[in-house]
Parts: sequence; C-alpha cells; structure tokens
Amino acid sequence: MDQLLPGDIVEAGRLFPEALAACADLDALLRLKGAYVGREGSHAAHMMDLLKAAPKDQKRDLGAAINAFKQQWEEALKIRQAELESAKKARSAQAANWDPSLPPPRPAEGALHPLNRLMDRLVEVFRPLGFHVEEGPEVETEAHNFDGLNIPEDHPAKASSDTFYLAAHPELLLRTHTSPVQVRTLLRIAPELATRGGVRFLAPGRVYRKDEIDPTHSPMFHQVEGMLVGHGIGMQHLKGTLEYALRALFGPHTEIRLRPSYFPFVEPGCEVDVSCPLCDAKGCRVCKGSGWVEILGAGLIHPNVLSYAGIDPNEWSGWAFGMGVERMAMMLSQTPDLRLFFENDQRFLRAMGGLD
Amino acid sequence: MWIERKVLAQELPAVAGLDTRHVCELLAALGFPVDGVVSREGTEALDVDITANRGDAMSHRGIARELATKLAQPMAPLAPAEPVEGTPIVDVRLEVMACPVYSTAVLELGSGSTPLEVQSFLLALEASPKRLPAVDASNELLHRYGHPTHAFDADRIEGAVSVRWARAGEALVTLDGIERTLTSLDMVIADEQGPIALAGVMGGERTKVTEGTRRVLLESAYFDAKTVRAAARRHSLHTDASHRFGRGADPAMARIARNQLVERLTQWCGARLVGAWTAGSLPVPAAPTFLKTTLLTRVAGEILSLAEAAEILERLGCAVAMEAHGLRVQAPTWRHDLVIAEDLAEEVLRLRGYERIPSVLPPMEGPPQTLSATYLQRQKLSRRLAHLGFHQTVTYGFISPEADGAFSAPDNPPEGRTLSNPLGLEYSVMRGSLLPSLQTTAEQNLRQGAREVRLFELGPAYTSSPSGPREVPSLALVWGGTLGGQDYLTPARAVREADLTGIAHDLGLTRAPEVRSLGEGLFGLELPLADLPLAGDRIIPTFRPFSRFPVVERDLSLLVDLGQTYEALAAAMRVALPADTLQDLRCVDVFRHRSLPEGRQAWLLRMRFQADRTLVGDEVDGWIAAALGAAESLGAKLRA
Ligand SMILES: [Zn+2]
Repeated sequence: MDQLLPGDIVEAGRLFPEALAACADLDALLRLKGAYVGREGSHAAHMMDLLKAAPKDQKRDLGAAINAFKQQWEEALKIRQAELESAKKARSAQAANWDPSLPPPRPAEGALHPLNRLMDRLVEVFRPLGFHVEEGPEVETEAHNFDGLNIPEDHPAKASSDTFYLAAHPELLLRTHTSPVQVRTLLRIAPELATRGGVRFLAPGRVYRKDEIDPTHSPMFHQVEGMLVGHGIGMQHLKGTLEYALRALFGPHTEIRLRPSYFPFVEPGCEVDVSCPLCDAKGCRVCKGSGWVEILGAGLIHPNVLSYAGIDPNEWSGWAFGMGVERMAMMLSQTPDLRLFFENDQRFLRAMGGLD
Repeated sequence: MWIERKVLAQELPAVAGLDTRHVCELLAALGFPVDGVVSREGTEALDVDITANRGDAMSHRGIARELATKLAQPMAPLAPAEPVEGTPIVDVRLEVMACPVYSTAVLELGSGSTPLEVQSFLLALEASPKRLPAVDASNELLHRYGHPTHAFDADRIEGAVSVRWARAGEALVTLDGIERTLTSLDMVIADEQGPIALAGVMGGERTKVTEGTRRVLLESAYFDAKTVRAAARRHSLHTDASHRFGRGADPAMARIARNQLVERLTQWCGARLVGAWTAGSLPVPAAPTFLKTTLLTRVAGEILSLAEAAEILERLGCAVAMEAHGLRVQAPTWRHDLVIAEDLAEEVLRLRGYERIPSVLPPMEGPPQTLSATYLQRQKLSRRLAHLGFHQTVTYGFISPEADGAFSAPDNPPEGRTLSNPLGLEYSVMRGSLLPSLQTTAEQNLRQGAREVRLFELGPAYTSSPSGPREVPSLALVWGGTLGGQDYLTPARAVREADLTGIAHDLGLTRAPEVRSLGEGLFGLELPLADLPLAGDRIIPTFRPFSRFPVVERDLSLLVDLGQTYEALAAAMRVALPADTLQDLRCVDVFRHRSLPEGRQAWLLRMRFQADRTLVGDEVDGWIAAALGAAESLGAKLRA
C-alpha cells in the first residue's frame, strides 16, 4: 500500500515514533501535531491534496492508506499529549507544596535559671501541706541574722572573714543564710499565732558568705529554709514531712536517714541524708559508694528562737530545716563546676533550666 | 580530728573486735561522721568530724566514751596514782574568775626520751613528736584525754606565778616566735617579769622547755571557754589547746591530767617529783536540769519509758533523780552542752538512734496561707519571659564601683551601698542597677558565639538611704544580636530598641519604657517590679460587649517631619476620630529615603473602624479627612 504514497510521506511516517518520543513538553508536541496532522501544510494536508488529485480508480485504496496513517498519528499524539499534561500537572502541584522536612520557623527558646527552677519545685512540693512562701531582705541586721537565732555573740561566723558587712552601716550585713526569714516571720506573726493556728512556710533566697570563687565555692548562693510552728511538734513531724517531701522530689522509693548534728538554732538537731537518687542507693561516685547523700540540716526550733520572737516555747514548738540549692543542683545534675550557675551561658541555661 | 584505732581500743576495749566500717557507722549515727580513714604508722587513723558544741569529744577518750555509751560497754579505768599534794614550791595566784583551778607540780627531769609507741601515736595523728618528754607527754595527753596542759622550764620562771588579765600593751613572745601585744581582755600566766603564756592558747618563748631544761613546772588548769575563744580570735592563734578550752574543757580533768603528766615523766625519763599542789578549786556545777516527761514525749514523738531515759543519761555520765513528772539531771563536768531540757531529750533520742523516731505528718491547725501577690508576680513574669525567648540569669548582687557608677541614678550614691570587707573592688558595691551584670553576661554570650542574646534577671537593685541600702525588687532585660534568618520564611534583621519596648508592653507596662543602648546592637531595660501589674490584677474584668459588624480598614500615607513623634501625631488624630468607633490606629510602616523631600519621612498609618452597625463609606471618608486635617495641623502632608 505504501507504494501508493510518495517517498517523503513514507519517510515522515517512519520518523514519526522517534519524533513523538523526543517531545519533552506540550509545546514541542503541538509543533509536531501541526507538522503531521495540522489543517495546512502538514503531511496529512499534503496527503489530502494527493487524494484529490489521484485518478478515480486509485482513490479508494489511497484513501484507506491515508486514513490509516492519519489515524495512527492522531492516536499516538493524543496519548502522548495526555502523558505530558499529567506530568505538567504533577510538576505544578510539586511547586505549590513545600518540603515538610525543611527547618520550620520556631518560636524563640528561652529558659528559667536551673536554681530558680529547683526552688520553685521545692515550693510546689510543700504547697499541698499548706506551706506558703516568706521572703526577707538580703541586706540584714546582725540581730536577725545571728542574735535571733541563738547564735552566740562571739560565734566565728560573725567575723569579717566570714560575713560581708556594710561600710556605712556596721550593724548591717549580707545575710549568711535564709534563717533570718524565720526570725522576721516569727516576730511578725507572733501576736496572731493562736488565731492562725501556727505557721508553716518556705523561705527560698540568695545568701552570701565570704568564700573565694572556685569550682565548689561562691560568695553568693541559694538556700531554701522551711519552718513549721504548732502545738506539740516533735521530731516525728520533721521526719514525716521530710519523708513526704523528699519522696515527692526524688521518687516514692526514696528513704531518708536522720543523723544527730548541731546548729545553734535547733535542738535536737540533725543532718538528713536521702538514699542516692542517682544509683538507687546501690553506690556510685556521687554518694561515694555509700548509697546516701546529705541533703539538708534540720531540727526542732530552739526555745530561745521562739522566745526571741515573743512566742512561748512552753506552748508552741516547731521544726526548721535549711538546704543548699546549688549543692542539690550540682548533685542532681552532676554539674562539675559551681561557677557555671553564675556564668549564665544561654546554652547551659537552656539545657539545665529550660521551660516548664 | 584524727582518732587512732589502737589507742581508741585501749580506752574502750570493745572496739578492738569491731571492724573499722562498723566503728564509722556507729560514730555517724552518734553525730560524728567520719570523713575518711587512712593507714599510717602501721595503724588506721579516722578523720572524725566533731560539731562545735562537743569539746568533750575532741579526744580518744571522748570518742571512746560516746561509743561506750552506745554499746553499753565499759571504758578502761582512768586512775593514775595521785601524787601526794604538799605545800607549793612556787607561789601560784589565781587572780581571775576565768581560771578557777590550776593544778601544778615541779619535777627534776632525768635522762630518757619519749617512748617510740608514743612517737608513732603522735605521727599517726599528724602531730610531730619533739623528743622532749615534757612536751610530747603534754601533747599525747591532749590527744588522748582532751585536756591541754603545759610544761614551763621552772628555772626560767622569776618568782611567783599568777593567772591574771594582761595589762594593755604588755608583750609576750609566744612559742611560734611571734611577739604579741596583749590587751586587758587577754588572760595570761605571768611571773614577776611579765606574761609567760597566753592562757589556754599558747606558752611563751622565754620559759619554753628545751634540751637543756632540768626542772619543769607543769600546768594543768581549767580556763573559761569564752575567754580563750576571744583570745585565740584576737591574736589569730588557733591551737589544739585553744580549740579544746574554747569549746569547754572538763575542770575535773585539771588534777587528773597533772597526775598523768607526772606519771609519764617519771616513767619516760626517770623524773623526780619535787612537789605537787593545786591552786583554787573546781567551779560550782550548774544547777540540775529538769526533763519533763511531757517534753520528752513531745520531742520523741512517742511515749518513752522514763527508766530507759534515765538509764541512757546515766550511761552518759549524768546524775539522774527520777521524780513524779520527769527526771532531774545533773550533767557530767565534761558536758557543757547539756543546759536545757531539750538538750537532754536530744541525748535520749541520739543514744536510742534517730532511726527509731516515728514518721508522722504534722496536723493542720489553721487554714493554709496563699502565696503573696509579689511572689506570684515574679513566678509568672519569669515564665512569661522564658516563653518569650529570654533566659533567666543569676548574677552576684555586688559589682565594681565603675560598673555601678555607669548605671546607677545620680541620686543613689554608692557610699551607702559599699561593703567594708569585699572579696575585692570588683565585688564591693551592692548594685544600684541589674543592667551592668546583664550587659557583661550578654557580651560574654555573644563572644562565645551566640547569634542572639536574650536575658532577664529578677532581683533587688539597691538604693542608698540613711537607714541602709533599700532593696527595690526589679526586672532587667537585655536583648541583642540578630533575629530571624534561621529558616526559609523569616528574614534576618538586627535586634532593635523597639523589640524591647514591645516586650515591656507585653508584660503590662503602661508607660513608655526607657530602653538603653548597651553598645552595638545590644539593648537593656530595667523596671521596678512595682511598675508591672500584680498577678491579682489580672482576674477576669467586667464584660464589655464587642461589635460583630464588619471592620473597615483605611490607610493614610503621610509625609511628616523627621523630628515628628508618632505619639503626638497619633494623639492629635485620635482627637479627630470617633472614639467609640475607632478600634485601632497605628503606624505600620516607616519609609526614609533620599527620594523624599529633605527633612521628611513617610509614615503609613492604618485605622480600623467598627461600630454596632454597618459603616457607610461616606462617613468613614469624613473621619479620614478629619484625621488628615489633624495631621496636617502638625505639618504632615498627604503623600502623593
Ligand atoms: Zn549513688
């Protein structure tokens, strides 16, 4: 049948599949479509001209051959057009989509200071027992910092080698512990102690001692003081409260241990150890293999402290404790150098304090 | 304090059979934690921590006594032969109450040296033996029995010996070779030439025992604790003797220790006793203390048998009389710390073991207290700021005078806030502002490679006042570096002053904040917390209805003078606009460029209107015209 058609058409028919495959986009395809089956100047138009001019007896066979060519081309073009159109659609869909694994914009990341966070945590632990927060000034009187706490007038802690004093006000000092908050609070509430039904509070805060700055010492550090005054308060209540609080802090299996000790403002006095929260009391570097770590000092309020505040120690009694916040933070986090807490590198603060 | 195991076992034979770990546990449970154990001189030495109230435990005998009481085991007897006391060889006069008793003796020394076992005992305690029997024996007694004694070269003493207050300005060269100028508060031992020892602290150079000493005068006295403590502190002279007298020695040991010293010198170097005598007498013991049953029960948290309590106190050396409602207790001469009933209750609990104390939560007696508004304010502020990307810092309250001077208000002089004994000049002034510390911290963070630094601190700033530094609870913020540029959506830009202003308004500051430039691209702001709303102020306010009709938004582009403040312009425009309909007026863009007329800038002002009806275009046009008129009255022009 091909012999009915001129050589250039046959050649165009032979080249068609390759040309079709070479069309990378719709424009190229439309150009190819125009060249083969377009209304004017195309191979198909050329064939129609041939058909018109052909002798009558050949028209039938020639017409069939031309139709076969045209049909084959049109079908292939249609399929290829659909392919290219769907590829284009897919590309534009991709352009509208953003890779979800690209780093997104993020809200700025700040942090609480780890020492403040730890103090806040202690307050949270004691809140359910009815403890509130009392605070006092960091510049204190000698009376509140020492005398009201049954600390003898010639106690070495009073020396200028241990305590910072104000030059223009020799009776003023930087408090060496949070215990003067006990004195202030007791003095303030003494008249209403009976109507309030005693008092129970925590006093977190900053304190100062004349220590040179090194990996384990700082002239400023933090303490949390706890105090409870009521009727018939004894060592069992101190033990009960601390057991509750330290279990709330370190976990329900925590054990505590009281060891006799001495602080002028309590009697009896004790040091409190907690079963090592880092090794489950199995023994590690932090607890020096003993399974116990010292966590705070405590005792029953010395009657002289109550009397100083105008509270009758025959009617009222209570307990008090004081703990070092840095010491506990260093123990829990195993931070090797105390100075990191005062350097305030944002990386340290984010890692150690973070957000609630 | 070092405790050597072999001598400890000599004082308390029951210890010999216990392993060291067990001894350490017993001591810790008694309130004497052991900080370490070392092997030295073929024995073990325990580093025992002794609290300041327990001078009686500062010896092998003292520690043995504690263990003996806990274990209910007998101590080795303490009974050296009593030398026959006779008439004084040297006149000893006690002129002060602070020295009630002074036992002494004169001996002629023979030949012979300190026994090797005593030398190695002293070496195990890190106390160097001098190989002078009189000196070493005194030293051994101190560590073994806790009673400090002294030996003088009797031939160097001139005339009578007295215990008296020093005369102000009198000099004494102590054994360490230092000449001390004495005060009238110093108690001294003196001969007719002057002081020969600072009582209870250290002997003097002039009468010290040397290789050539032939006759010694012994001193075994009791000195008042407070007087000795004061002298040791006054002269910065803290010695083994002053530690023990300073915490309270046992007056009854004066005579015993003298006898032990005589016995040792007789045995070690064939010394011959010339005479022994005692000046003064034992001080009158304090009145007994009554331990009420009710107090013991309250402290212990359970009912304890009085008989058990009495038995424990007797084991401690107390004389106990059982009465109807408690125990009448006379403390032993070595326990100066047993003064009030609570002290006795503690002893009962301590010897029973603190592990036996019951565990009970204290009952509530009254309503719980709320947290204060100022405390809650700080809690909420710190959390808000942390969520806004700020890091909470903790910096020292004292700074250098230079740093303070750069930030503190002119009416806040540093003199009233300066420490008399700072760690150094850079830590000498209680800061009048938190900003210097935050600036330093911010710069350090930037130097360490931080792209952006956002810090805040909550703490007191100090204001000088006639009654002393006043604490002003304050908030300080610093912000600097580069914002954004960390993802494909947020362009990078430098932190601007306005960023901090925005934070201040976010925290509830109603006035314009004073943002300070702290250097290239670093800004700071400090506020007294009193300027910020308290937590309680944020309780839900009364309901105010709001419109649900459509909002009309209009922009005005104005050319204004470079010196024009937005605040004044906005205020003028607001006056011209209907207050109940204007929801918002703000400048949303500032354009400064040389294409604009000189001295002018372009502001894009956006107004939002909303009312309880649908607004008509004409009326809004009228308002905009009025607002433009108001702006024009301040020199603004509509931008073409
Ligand atoms: Zn551990």
